[in-house]
Amino acid sequence: MSKITVAGVRTNVQELLKYSNEEKKRNFLETVELQIGLKNYDPQRDKRFSGTVKLPRVPRPNMSICILGDQHDIDRAKHGGVDAMSSEDLKKLNKNKKLIKKLARKYDAFVASDSLIKQIPRLLGPGLSKAGKFPTPVSHNEDLGAKITEVKSTIKFQLKKVLCMGVAVGNVDMSEEELIGNIMLSINYLVSLLKKGWQNVGSLTIKASMSPPKRLY
Amino acid sequence: MKRKLAALEKLDADLPALQHKIRNDPPSYRDDFVNQYSQYQSLYELFEASPTTTDDTGIVRLRDLVDFVSHVADCYPTLTKAFPGQLIRLLELHHATLEAELRDKLVGSLVLLRRKEVIDSQILLNVLWPLLISTPSKSLRALLFQKILSDLRTSNNKTTNHKLNRSVQTTCYNLIASNPASPKGLWAVKLTRELWKRQVWTDGKAVSIMEAAALCQDAKVVTGGVRFFLGGDQEREEAADDDSEAEDTVDVRKLKHQAGINKKSSKRNKEVRDATKKVKRQEKKKNAPHPLNFSALHLLHDPQGFAEKLFQQHLQPAQPKVKLNLDQKLLVLNLVSRLVGLHKLTLISLYSYFLKYLSPRQPSVTSFLASLAQATHSLVPPDALEPLVQKIANEFVSEAAASEVASAGLNGIREVCVRQPLAMNETLLQDLVQYRKSKDKGVQMAARGLLSLYRDVGAEMLKKRDRGRDAALKLRAQNTQEGGIEAARRFGQVDEGGIEGLDLLEKWKEEQGLDEDEDEAKGWENWDAESDDSESSGGWINVESEGEDIDVSDSEDEKERKKDVEKAKKQKLPEAKDDEKENVDDAETTSRATASLEPEAAVKREEQRISKLATTRILTPADLTKLKELQQSAAITANLPSAKRRKLAVQAAAANAARHADDAVTASDIAGLAKLSAGKATKEERVALARGVRDGVEAEKNDHRSTTARRKEKKASEGKSTTNKEKARKKNFMMTLGKAKRKGKRSLVEQRGILKAHVERGKRGGRKGNKYVGATIVNLGQEGWVGGWYIKPS
Repeated sequence: MSKITVAGVRTNVQELLKYSNEEKKRNFLETVELQIGLKNYDPQRDKRFSGTVKLPRVPRPNMSICILGDQHDIDRAKHGGVDAMSSEDLKKLNKNKKLIKKLARKYDAFVASDSLIKQIPRLLGPGLSKAGKFPTPVSHNEDLGAKITEVKSTIKFQLKKVLCMGVAVGNVDMSEEELIGNIMLSINYLVSLLKKGWQNVGSLTIKASMSPPKRLY
Repeated sequence: MKRKLAALEKLDADLPALQHKIRNDPPSYRDDFVNQYSQYQSLYELFEASPTTTDDTGIVRLRDLVDFVSHVADCYPTLTKAFPGQLIRLLELHHATLEAELRDKLVGSLVLLRRKEVIDSQILLNVLWPLLISTPSKSLRALLFQKILSDLRTSNNKTTNHKLNRSVQTTCYNLIASNPASPKGLWAVKLTRELWKRQVWTDGKAVSIMEAAALCQDAKVVTGGVRFFLGGDQEREEAADDDSEAEDTVDVRKLKHQAGINKKSSKRNKEVRDATKKVKRQEKKKNAPHPLNFSALHLLHDPQGFAEKLFQQHLQPAQPKVKLNLDQKLLVLNLVSRLVGLHKLTLISLYSYFLKYLSPRQPSVTSFLASLAQATHSLVPPDALEPLVQKIANEFVSEAAASEVASAGLNGIREVCVRQPLAMNETLLQDLVQYRKSKDKGVQMAARGLLSLYRDVGAEMLKKRDRGRDAALKLRAQNTQEGGIEAARRFGQVDEGGIEGLDLLEKWKEEQGLDEDEDEAKGWENWDAESDDSESSGGWINVESEGEDIDVSDSEDEKERKKDVEKAKKQKLPEAKDDEKENVDDAETTSRATASLEPEAAVKREEQRISKLATTRILTPADLTKLKELQQSAAITANLPSAKRRKLAVQAAAANAARHADDAVTASDIAGLAKLSAGKATKEERVALARGVRDGVEAEKNDHRSTTARRKEKKASEGKSTTNKEKARKKNFMMTLGKAKRKGKRSLVEQRGILKAHVERGKRGGRKGNKYVGATIVNLGQEGWVGGWYIKPS
């Protein structure tokens, strides 16, 4: 594949949506993932990149979020129907590694109120940052709902020990336009992160949870 | 007859000759071999029975026979089946008492057998490795280490021999892990480091050996392991660079030239052929993608656990199990802090550990400061860092402190604050920034660095007059945008990345005067056409040509546009018009912040627009290059006032781009411009300068010549001679005087003759007349006045 066109992306997305919504409808909401293979990339010389970008639409609406906050934020969370924990709850974990790990596994992301977040490293130790789920701060005068959507729609590109990675960019419930928008933005952002732009991109593939992969590039 | 027999016997005794003959024709010399082999057998048994009593001649004979048999063992595999086993037995049982030469011969023979693939690497290494660790002889250890290393390298030469690597790595690991207190682990460290450097071992297993070594209980092994993590990757890089440079020695052009001149022979032909082949291979190698090599620090299995253990074992306890001296401790500390910074680990007790060491009297305090800076990252709670920053400020930075100390302190604080800006409080910052008025250059620069950092990351903490124009404008814009609430940075906040400079690209596209649809259509057209032209992706990757294409087509558009700008504006949609208005505003941010006119709406619209470009189009390589260009030019124009400032900004940007969180902070970074504040040179420096040492390169003693003279000498040493012009310029003036005088006294007739000769010479093509008569003549042949004479071409 030599190049990527908007039209090509569109047909691929159409096929993907058709497969997942009509041919083989599954009993759960399938996530659409963008898989990236890099090439000519030397992790030592080019340094490893990492970056977060906010997508126009929330890719995974079912993401579970936990609020770690003071009384005010816990009340707000309850009002919004989101799980919440107070600092006393966290102290109860007693820095027990297994419990903290369990907590980190239970939720996809965390939001913490400004007053509490500075204590998180002391209260919980390295557990959360190890799992890559260090909380996002929220202050009292920010809208909690908006913050949660922001957290949900933010995706992270991070290179680990291999030269490929995958990020969730949408789900099969989204309309074609929305999905294309998300995919395009992620691709553009990724390419702008890379030192040599498109020359570093080996392959781009989109894939729903249970669909065959569709190669874009 | 007798003589013949004697000769035959002699021939038999001549083992190398026999060896040669066997090589050529094994079956026919089988009997001879059996003869020699039985001799070897009997000698071996004798030696086995009484290893200590064998006399010198017996040992020499045995050595020769071992050498002989091992050289031809591959020709008679069935006969010599027991041979390798016997050698191994000899070595294992008697290596301590064996005569040195025989011992080395046995090792050499075993390696030879491995090369001839009589035994495999596994067996060989199983013999050599225990020997290496147990033998008391230094020379044998050196030999064994070298043999093991070369065997591992050769067996990984073509493809990685995973099985062998795994087993050797396991033995290495077990050596360290089974007995952490013994110094023998050093061999495992040495081997791993060497193989890492040669890129034979590049996986996580090798790293885990070093991890075990660093957590060992022997000081030497620990430092070996720690040094590996701190410098192993750099070493590997350098080794790779050396390899690629060392090969650039063939000059094909020269060879070809020589082949054209000298007598032709098949040998010369072959030389040229080989050279071209070699160069081609090198080219290929150069263009090949760089092999995938992750640094050892990234391949660690559990960095958090490793850092914690290192810290708890070697640094924290008052009475550690391993006594490390200050240098070794600093190494360990450097590694721990490197890990913490790189992987953003949480190790809160580390910061209070630093508190003890942060005073100007502490030896190598700059290294401590550098480590502290390294250990800082955005997820460190600010309350852990604040006391440290405060302490540095109190201990180092004061009017009374020496200038080097103050600048080191300021640099240290800056490095910490670059990584965690929240570690600073307002009063302290305002106090420290005052030092930019200091008389000492080093302190001044350090304080300015801190100031410019906070102009970027937290301008509201600075006093109003220190903020500077850009920062103040930015701050005001922020305040109006968000109602002045959330201007400050918050802990745990992750900066959301956008595509930098996308708005610039958008603007540029707009200025180029293409409607979005039109533009896109055109872009795709162009793209398709190009793809038809070139099937390979080369055309696509070749960014510049594409950029030019677009430029050309667009510039035409622009010309048209310039003719009737008004018209175009009218044609545009009202929305676009609004956008353009904003653009104008943006361009002159100097006068007013954009925020002043309906800020929120403007921002929202801006966001929409950006997302539109990013979500509906794919940025082509051309777009990306344009984007970078625009970003750079924007950065430059923002700092226009003076050329100097512009230059500085570019330099700073480049330096910032070069720096990365992954990079280590060194003590010299912290010491910074101490050289500037030092003022006077030390005595050694002055002596060195007097001896002609400049920047570490020692010139010849008492070389007081001028730069020109040195340059000339350099040219001469490169084998370049002088040009005629140069010779003319250098000619002794007295020698030229006569000619110059004579020139003025020429008679008219003489003058005419000279001019005519000149023209003639031109026609002939120079003095030698061997040049093709070309353009020069045509020029000269023109009718006209030359030197007061009217010349008519003939």
